[in-house]
Amino acid sequence: MPTNDKDIIRAMREDAEKGFRLLMKSYKEPLYWHIRRLVVSHDDAQDAAQETFIRIFRSFGQYSEANSLRAWLFRIATNEALRLLGRQKNVTMLSLDDVTADMLSAKADAYYDDDDAIVARLQKAIQRLPAKQQLAFNLRYYDELSYEEIAEVTGASAASMKMNYHLAKEKIIEYMQKKD
Amino acid sequence: MEKIFYFEQVGKRMPYTVPDGFFDKMEEDVMLDVKAETAQPKRRKKARTIKIAIRSAIAVAAAIALFFVVRSTLPKSEPVLASADDFASVELAFNNLSTADQDFLIAVYEEDEFINVLTNTEDYE
Repeated sequence: MPTNDKDIIRAMREDAEKGFRLLMKSYKEPLYWHIRRLVVSHDDAQDAAQETFIRIFRSFGQYSEANSLRAWLFRIATNEALRLLGRQKNVTMLSLDDVTADMLSAKADAYYDDDDAIVARLQKAIQRLPAKQQLAFNLRYYDELSYEEIAEVTGASAASMKMNYHLAKEKIIEYMQKKD
Repeated sequence: MEKIFYFEQVGKRMPYTVPDGFFDKMEEDVMLDVKAETAQPKRRKKARTIKIAIRSAIAVAAAIALFFVVRSTLPKSEPVLASADDFASVELAFNNLSTADQDFLIAVYEEDEFINVLTNTEDYE
C-alpha cells in the first residue's frame, strides 16, 4: 500500500526515525530527480539530496500541517540545489531571480545517456529556460504538483506559476520544432 | 517542413542515469547520519536529567537540615510547629544561596554530630 503524506506526518510525530524512513521511501527518488534536473551532475545532485534529507529531518518540527508536505519538501530540495549552484559561483545563496539559464545548464557527467536524441534535446530545451519557468515546468510536468504547491515551493503566486508553466511549454515546443 | 513535437513523444524519460543501487545506498547513508544525530542529544538529555535530579535531592536535604538547625536554636518553651509555609520559605531561602554556600551547609549538616543527634531524637509535639 503506498504511503501517503498523512501517514508520514503521523509517523514522524510518533517516532522520528521510523517516520523518516517512511518519508525517504516515498521521496528519495522524486527529490533526487528534482535536484538532478536543476544541477545536472550526478555527484552534485547526490550531495544536495543528502543535505536536503538531513535538513528535512532537523527542521521537521518547523513544518506546519496547514501547508502541503510535498511542497515543503520540494522547497527545501530547491533551496539546497540553489545553495549548491551558489557555492559553485562563490555566492552564499542564490535566489530564483539570480539564477541564469547558463548556470542551470551545467555539463552532465558520466551518468548521462544521450543515445535517445529527442530525450536529450528536451532536457536541453528545459535548461535554456529562465529559472522560474524551469522550476514551474519541472514541478508540474515531472512531479505533477498543483499550481498552489508550486507557488509554495517558489514563494510566488499560483497564477504567476501557471503563467510561467505555459510560457515554458511554448518555448520548449518552439525549440523542439526548430531545425538543427 | 517544420518538425512537429508532442510531449507524449518523450513522456517523463530523461537522459540522466544513476549508479546501480544508488537510492538504497543514499537512504542508508542518510539514515546513518540521522541515527548519529538522534543518539547524541538523548545521551546529553539523560545526563542533564541526572544532574538536575541530584541537585534537587541535595537542595531538599539541605533545606530540611536548615529547618532543623533553625528549630534547634529556638528556646524549648516556645512550641515550634512546622507548617508547610516554613518548609517552603526555608527551601526558597536555601535555593537562593550560592552553590558554594549550599555545599557548605550540606557539609555542616552531614558532619555535625550534634545536629544529627538532635534531628534523630527531636519529637514533634
